[in-house]
Amino acid sequence: MFAITREPLDPRPLVDAVRRDESGAVALFYGVVRNENMGRSVRYLEYDAYEAMALKKMREVADEVCAKYPLTGIGVLHRIGRLEIGETSLLVAVSSPHRKEAFEACHEAVDRVKQTVPVWKKEVWDDGSQWIEGYVPEVRQ
Amino acid sequence: MPEIHVRLFAGLHDLVGRRELVLSMPDGATIGQLRDRLGEEYPIVQPLLSTLVCAVDEEYVAPEHVLRDGEDVALIPPISGGS
Repeated sequence: MFAITREPLDPRPLVDAVRRDESGAVALFYGVVRNENMGRSVRYLEYDAYEAMALKKMREVADEVCAKYPLTGIGVLHRIGRLEIGETSLLVAVSSPHRKEAFEACHEAVDRVKQTVPVWKKEVWDDGSQWIEGYVPEVRQ
Repeated sequence: MPEIHVRLFAGLHDLVGRRELVLSMPDGATIGQLRDRLGEEYPIVQPLLSTLVCAVDEEYVAPEHVLRDGEDVALIPPISGGS
């Protein structure tokens, strides 16, 4: 299950989608909006995305991680638009026969999503706002 | 002259005030030249150009990529998805 959506993210359908009868573990990561960054108080975040490419890159991350770990399922959901403090912007769920691979693959998938998926967040403060510059994506030669 | 469809996101979208542009580029022009051209037409985006990566047909490409007529180029400032 992969999606970019403006609706609140619900982890349950994602967990159901990645779990198989062969799965002994499901690792689920929530990325949530926090109320400060670099000592500055954040009111809310605004996310933008190149939706079609973001979906494609999310699937590529999943393929990469599946090629490296013995997984039974993986899914990624990213929310865009305005998100309030405490809301969930990213869900990554990974299932595998045993917990070690689930934890490691989930961690790696989250890192890769942040490095390659074209999504941007703007922090909105009381006295201004700024688009956050995270990773410059790598160009595959 | 190849016509290039350009997509803008995040800070570039805010600065230019548009989500899409069409730019006519000379034959044989590259992504790097498209980036320079953008800076000439919209000087306000100059500070963002040095870290800008472009994507063609939903794949990141190098500045040497040669543009073809009708190509779809997305301008990708440093990304910051997740939380």
